[in-house]
Amino acid sequence: MWKKGGFLFSFMAAMLLAACGESSGDDGQVELELFSNKVENIGTYQSLIEKFEEKHPNIKVDLYAPPEAETILRTRLVKDDMPDMLAIAGSALYGELADAGILKDYSDSGLIEDIQPAYLEMLDDLTEKEPGGTYGVPYATNANTVIYNKEKFEQLGVEPPKTWDEFIEILDKAKEEGEIPIYFTLQEAWTGMIAWNAVAGNLEPEQFAQKKNNDEASFQQDYQEVADKMLTLLEYGHDRTFGIGYDDGNNAFANGEGVIYLQGNWAVPELLEVNPDLDLGVFPMPVTNEPDENDLVSGVDVLFATLEESEHPEEAQLFIDFMLEEENMKQYTDEQAAFPALEGVYEDDPVLGGIRENFEEGRITSFPDHYYPPGIGAENLIQEFYIQKDKERFLQKMDNEWEKVERRY
Amino acid sequence: MANRNRAFLMMTLPALLLFFTFHTYPVLQGFFYSFTDWKGYGEWNFVGFSNYLNVLQDVRALSAYGFTFQFAIVSTILVNIFSLMIALGLNAKIKFQKTLRALYFVPNILSILIVGFIFNFIFTHFLPEIAAAIGLNALTGNILGDPDLAWVGVVIMAVWQATAFNTILYLAGLQTIPEDIYEASKIDGAGKWRNFISITFPLIAPFFTINMVLAMKNFLMVFDHIIALTGGGPGQATESISLLIYRGGFQGGEFAYQSANAVIYFVVIVIISIFQLRVLQKREVEL
Repeated sequence: MWKKGGFLFSFMAAMLLAACGESSGDDGQVELELFSNKVENIGTYQSLIEKFEEKHPNIKVDLYAPPEAETILRTRLVKDDMPDMLAIAGSALYGELADAGILKDYSDSGLIEDIQPAYLEMLDDLTEKEPGGTYGVPYATNANTVIYNKEKFEQLGVEPPKTWDEFIEILDKAKEEGEIPIYFTLQEAWTGMIAWNAVAGNLEPEQFAQKKNNDEASFQQDYQEVADKMLTLLEYGHDRTFGIGYDDGNNAFANGEGVIYLQGNWAVPELLEVNPDLDLGVFPMPVTNEPDENDLVSGVDVLFATLEESEHPEEAQLFIDFMLEEENMKQYTDEQAAFPALEGVYEDDPVLGGIRENFEEGRITSFPDHYYPPGIGAENLIQEFYIQKDKERFLQKMDNEWEKVERRY
Repeated sequence: MANRNRAFLMMTLPALLLFFTFHTYPVLQGFFYSFTDWKGYGEWNFVGFSNYLNVLQDVRALSAYGFTFQFAIVSTILVNIFSLMIALGLNAKIKFQKTLRALYFVPNILSILIVGFIFNFIFTHFLPEIAAAIGLNALTGNILGDPDLAWVGVVIMAVWQATAFNTILYLAGLQTIPEDIYEASKIDGAGKWRNFISITFPLIAPFFTINMVLAMKNFLMVFDHIIALTGGGPGQATESISLLIYRGGFQGGEFAYQSANAVIYFVVIVIISIFQLRVLQKREVEL
């Protein structure tokens, strides 16, 4: 493996050297490298960048959005060869970069005044720095939702549920009618995290990760109900729950297999691409029996960060300002079925109407797994639990792996 | 003479330089960082052997070793059986011999990722449909989604892809055996099987050795197959050591820790290869 890593480094370095060679033009043009960790939104970025470059002919924005971007970003970090700007998610990687002190602090910039406070809090929780800061401008957000087939809901004569019991009732009814209640795609481990995050986000104690590190909380103590509820949901799968992956699942669900699909908002455009006539709706998973306590799990999908060492901070600033203009933000969120991070600006896509209320009332909570140490590989452990269904052993394993990784360097 | 030697030296130097910069130097770097707490960036301190001690206590690493060895041993044996059989067939006087040789080599030039996606489709859609049609209920699921069977799926694909290369080596070996030995054995009244056991196999023993060593080494480093088929899942059932080192090191930010793991693994592979060479070379014969 070491050989591969070494090769990758040298290869990246060679490519970057080539890129640098180009940028030193004498015509006063500034090249701004934007590194993005999403492949889904490349087209949207490109059309926005074109518009930006028309407005600012002296700035050229190079979008770089490779697959496995987070890994590549880490290797570039190792090489000390970072881009000017990052467009990354508010996940553990953001926390690490912020803690490493290489991102510009936006706390007092005025750019984040209008951002939903819940998201700023999430970002703050990801860093260990005291006092915290905001090292990026949240732009678009995503959510873990329950996607449902409206036609099938009508046939069953049911409405989107508000409580866990109602939710289970619908699933039971679907089962009785011979439908597949939930179309799982658990061959791919990450798809199992959608339901997990929705359930755990509502049931785990506040600041679980921090408490876990201080030995004040543990999976064995605090995740019993989460695990039980996941096992309940698994009873409503199909006979190939572990044999189908995300792409095959999208095809099947879009073609009318299954009543409910546990996915994020990002799956909506994919489903509609397979079957444009599909009548879809979404709702937040009602995890408890108290309708007011059921929060939507939502996180920062894209935030713009500028590197402290960037040679073009003003140009980066111009780009962020441009992206935040209402018209451009609307183009982004419409094309990506994403949600704006700004307070008071809401997505008006009719499919996503079912979760609009949560944004308006600020009833959102963060993705629990963004706070798990990345080294434990939670998604595979959780997939294993779904297959083996051995609750106590699984919870104990989560605790052990967590402690093991934290003890290590 | 001195001039001649200098010419040879000049020819070797570029290769040596390239090898050192792109191979030896990164390995040494990895060795160095395995004694630190480096995360891949930022500051670091020496931590002595604690990374090594932690690897030895890591159940996840141990189960990755378990899977990798199980996979590598089974695949090595199967690949050698199949490639030897195919090589014998292709070496016989058959029609379309050249065309068939080319055809059997095709899997080797396909990218493992592409082969992986094809096999993924076969395991997910094709096999279950056939199984359902003939009423074989045990196989209507996806074997890649079953923790007990997923490794078999990886073996099938790996063997299919790797057999081509080892076949070529065996073919080369078979062509080194002079025809007159077979004529002599024919006069002595030896049958086909006797020929194989007493002549063919002993005489291609050096090729058997190199094939065993190469196949074993390649399979111990298995990575792309798993990325394409299972991503290490279901659960951690098919997580190989290479995959663990890559995931933990780059995605989990445990650069130094996984460097220690890589160093241990490097030593293990060297020991196994030397052991194989020693044992297998003993039974090689010369004409």
